[in-house]
Amino acid sequence: MEHAADLGWWGVPLALLAGAIRSSTPFLFVSLGECLTEKSGRINLGLEGTLVMGAMTAYAISFVTGSPWLGVIGAAGVGLIMGAVHGFICGLPRVNHIAVGIALMILGVGLAFFLGKPLIQPSAAQLPGISLGAWSDSRAVQAALNVNALFVIGVILAFVMAWVFRSTRIGLAIRTVGDSRDAARAVGLDVKRIRLLTTAAGGALAGIGGSFLSLYYPGSWNEGLSSGQGLMAVALVIFARWDPIKCLYASLLFGGAGALGPALQSVGVSTGYYLFNAAPYLLTLMVMVASSSRDRALAGAPGDLSINASS
Amino acid sequence: MMRSKHNGGLERPILETLGVGKVFGASRALDDVTLKVAPRGIHALLGENGAGKSTLVKCLAGFHRPTTGQITIGGREQVLRSPKDAHAAGVGMVYQHFTLAPNLSVLENLVLAAPDSHGKRAGRIDWAAERQRFAERIDDLPFDADLEATVASLSSGQKQKVEIIKQLCLGPRILILDEPTSVLTPDEADEVLGTLHQMTRDQDLAVILITHKMREVFAYADRVTVLRGGRVTGDDEIAALDADTLSDMMIGEVEIVRSPDRAPTATDRILLSVEELTADNDRGVRALDAVNLGVAAGEIVGVAGVSGNGQTELAQVLAGQRRAVAGRIRVHDESYGGTRAEIARHRLHCLPEEPLRNACVADMSVADNLAFRSFDGPGYSVGGVFTRRAPLARRAATLMERFNVKPREPRLPMASLSGGNVQRAALARELADDVDILVVTNPCFGLDVAAVAQIHAQLMDARNKGAAVLLISEDLDELLALADRLVVLFEGRVVHQCTREEADRRSIGQKMTGY
Amino acid sequence: MTSLHPGLRAAAESVLLIVMTFVVTGVLFALFVAAAGAPPSGVFYDIYLGAFGSWFSWQNTLTRAAPFMLAALCTALPARLGLLVIGNEGALVIGGVAAAAAGIVLNGVAPLAVQIGMFAAAGIAGGLWIAGALALRHYRGVNETISTLLLNYLAIALLLWLVGGPLHDPASLNKPSTPSIGSANMLGDIPGMSVHWGLVYGVVACALLFGLFRYTTFGFAARIIGGNVRAAQLNGLAVARITLTVGFLAGAAAGVAGMVEVAAVHGRANESLVAGYGYVGILVAFLARQNLAMIVPVAILLGGIEASGGLLQRHFELPDATTTVLQGTLFILLLAGESLRGRIFPIRVVERS
Repeated sequence: MEHAADLGWWGVPLALLAGAIRSSTPFLFVSLGECLTEKSGRINLGLEGTLVMGAMTAYAISFVTGSPWLGVIGAAGVGLIMGAVHGFICGLPRVNHIAVGIALMILGVGLAFFLGKPLIQPSAAQLPGISLGAWSDSRAVQAALNVNALFVIGVILAFVMAWVFRSTRIGLAIRTVGDSRDAARAVGLDVKRIRLLTTAAGGALAGIGGSFLSLYYPGSWNEGLSSGQGLMAVALVIFARWDPIKCLYASLLFGGAGALGPALQSVGVSTGYYLFNAAPYLLTLMVMVASSSRDRALAGAPGDLSINASS
Repeated sequence: MMRSKHNGGLERPILETLGVGKVFGASRALDDVTLKVAPRGIHALLGENGAGKSTLVKCLAGFHRPTTGQITIGGREQVLRSPKDAHAAGVGMVYQHFTLAPNLSVLENLVLAAPDSHGKRAGRIDWAAERQRFAERIDDLPFDADLEATVASLSSGQKQKVEIIKQLCLGPRILILDEPTSVLTPDEADEVLGTLHQMTRDQDLAVILITHKMREVFAYADRVTVLRGGRVTGDDEIAALDADTLSDMMIGEVEIVRSPDRAPTATDRILLSVEELTADNDRGVRALDAVNLGVAAGEIVGVAGVSGNGQTELAQVLAGQRRAVAGRIRVHDESYGGTRAEIARHRLHCLPEEPLRNACVADMSVADNLAFRSFDGPGYSVGGVFTRRAPLARRAATLMERFNVKPREPRLPMASLSGGNVQRAALARELADDVDILVVTNPCFGLDVAAVAQIHAQLMDARNKGAAVLLISEDLDELLALADRLVVLFEGRVVHQCTREEADRRSIGQKMTGY
Repeated sequence: MTSLHPGLRAAAESVLLIVMTFVVTGVLFALFVAAAGAPPSGVFYDIYLGAFGSWFSWQNTLTRAAPFMLAALCTALPARLGLLVIGNEGALVIGGVAAAAAGIVLNGVAPLAVQIGMFAAAGIAGGLWIAGALALRHYRGVNETISTLLLNYLAIALLLWLVGGPLHDPASLNKPSTPSIGSANMLGDIPGMSVHWGLVYGVVACALLFGLFRYTTFGFAARIIGGNVRAAQLNGLAVARITLTVGFLAGAAAGVAGMVEVAAVHGRANESLVAGYGYVGILVAFLARQNLAMIVPVAILLGGIEASGGLLQRHFELPDATTTVLQGTLFILLLAGESLRGRIFPIRVVERS
């Protein structure tokens, strides 16, 4: 945040807020996607590959068509396909879900880097921001309150998802499938199909999360684009106790922690940069240790989500 | 031996099975079963363990496709490919294991099962309206259910009632109940059966009741069909039967196997002592509450109780599979922690229920499984570090011969053995050498009469040789036949103790259900 | 067929599945490179050439295979206990940092002593890292897949902080790193080839651990724990002790991989340590079906694929992500193929009673 220094120490919380909103957006989409998938009892560890593929696809389509929003849609489509592949393979008997996720991660990242080679130099049309700080004269405040459009969409999505889970038959069906396969089958729900659909939808959201990285911040395509947001989503969902609204808050927290380093750096505090980056992971680990018990399942976890599941 | 009376009713049966047979692999579970269920009334399905009752109703509920024969519902032949088809045909079933989503509330489970008044499949749920709707439905029944409670927090009896409500809300023409009262208190059982009895009088509802309790059959059923070995051995109206005739149909002409010989033993030394043992179950609910128990050398102590009252947890704590919250276990007057060294020193062996799930590794070979106790001992390992396969293989062959485990191929994976042979193999491992203390749980569940007799003989043999045997069983007959002393466990507490001579079936049965 | 020894039938099925997996992967990959404008036969030939075509390529392959072997153990060993650990990358990084730190501390001592010190430091650091995760699992029920995943990130953060702070070599401005351990202390090459000793570490580790799990009572007990922990408890096996030991061995192996990277390749610890070898290790473990005897050949295979990347780039201008795509495809098809297990040559028991 170049102008943060203008405001002195006020620059830090402002930069932090802006940074949190910005950095949290990919987390938000990926975690909502993983939340949906896990609510139905399936875990998708391959979202990192989906994220990167989404970023590359969005960039490519935006570059070719000039429309960043078409890029976002393309990223969602690619994510949908990858999620469907994951969902399909995991629906086969005796397949290790975790391994499939890692395999898709490797494949997705590889494909993205392969196909994205020609995209490293050229620049593609970027996503717009919504200027919530237009009332201020200070450039710093304006910059800080320039919220990207995807974040707004993500926030709305979080509330919509929470409502769907709570108050619709589809949401109830998904929650049942995730809680007990037997209960779901007994009322005639097609467990495999529902999990396939949620995994595909989750992939689509992860793809959108990826599109943010290449079309807003950092806003270009290169091989170091992702900092593991796809894998982090799994931890984030656990931290958020499988609640979409809490996913929103957790994303802000994790994004903010990531933004803490640069924000402090901008006012001259540069030690411990990496330790701040590590804070979200450490926090998640501590939360897991505190809430796990050797005799019982994690509170709030969908009953059928056994993390070492083999079909 | 078939005794049937001409169905004098003018009504056409609502459900008929004609010549239904079901074959699983090499075993025939059902053989030419013909059943006619009247449109109203309670039709009991009676039979021993393994008689085929569950298989038959699973065919009716769409879980299995019969290998032969046909099923007719409402006058039309039906092909039931799935539970959905069965539902569509008007068949509802309440299972023995619950099919409720544990982390959802009762209301959510009910809403899930019963489409709302508009029949929408994916739309918005008006929780207030649904709450109202179900509250009214439940008011009509003498049952009570807390709509907001999470299913996981309910007792077995409460869950059972919710299951029944769930099915009734779907408006079935035929309701099948698989041993519903096994988890209910006597009052609850009377409530449930009485209400259903009344419902079959007031409306077009046929209830098929699976049970092995004759008392219920005589109290509530209108008609009974008896199954034995997959075949119908009796079908008649209750009014025309008495207890003896019914027993004959159930047990048939199988010669009653003599109880194994009981040798006089000196039972003064207490070998196993359980003191103030307290433990929780998997859900964190207290399952054992300050249980005190002692087993002396040369005696069999039987632990009786309805399933779910702490027996599983007691066996697990003794086997080292569950940590106790409080209390002690003392063996040979020493504190016992379940380490391998202590097991060897005290010669304490356990045979849990469902051995394939709790005592064996399904993927490992039979020979390997038989070696679990001995693989690091002298003679089977070098210095306790390196395993010696050849002696272990020889021992496995010997044991399989001695305990009649079939097929005689030790290299097969354990999972490929039939239930009876798994049981025999597990027993072989535990009884191979002389034991001082033996803890056995439901050893004869699902086995045929010959296997049961064999296992009983082996348990008695161990007792005669001076072992202290703790026999935990849900089969009261087994306990009455084998035990020297009996203890009744109810809701995790010992509520009754008596010796073999004092044992009175009726009072023990009552204590088992909390009287 | 029913009279075949059951073990033989399972083995035949495995071989058939592996062959089918490779064939289908080959076909898909051929279509992929053809679509990218490169001739498939040329690509496959180059992969063969770059991997195994000459002594030079062999050495290249073996050099790359060395860290894969060690990293794979980090997943394959806990798999014996039925646990899925994916913390290979983290343990490797921690091991590398510890080795570099040991190198600094022991500076001036005889080279062999320095190497032993680095080896020990890496092994202990990596071992404690993973053993800690398994302790969390045993005592607190924390899922080991998630915890080791998180520990990966913590390890990387720790590495970056250390090489930028307390262990920073002020002379390293471009890429913050520890001071060099000195060329005298670097792990040399095996006499007769330009492949460093790390390869021997890998092969020996796999062989020793194979023996441990196959021929000892420890290994037998571990199999029981992995098969059914209740059966293990019933028989009084020391589940905690065995679990933590296996965790320590798993982490130590990956840690030594990190030490090898520092002592044989880079000479110092910096962010180059984070090269994704840990994740390839997971792939190797799965491709080897968690079988310790198969890790060495599978690691060599994957090392070969990676080694051929340079040739593919030069001849067909295919980016080095190409080999990643091949690996990913192979992995996915392998996993999907698992669903066919037990269905090709089903075991049917005929009771002759």
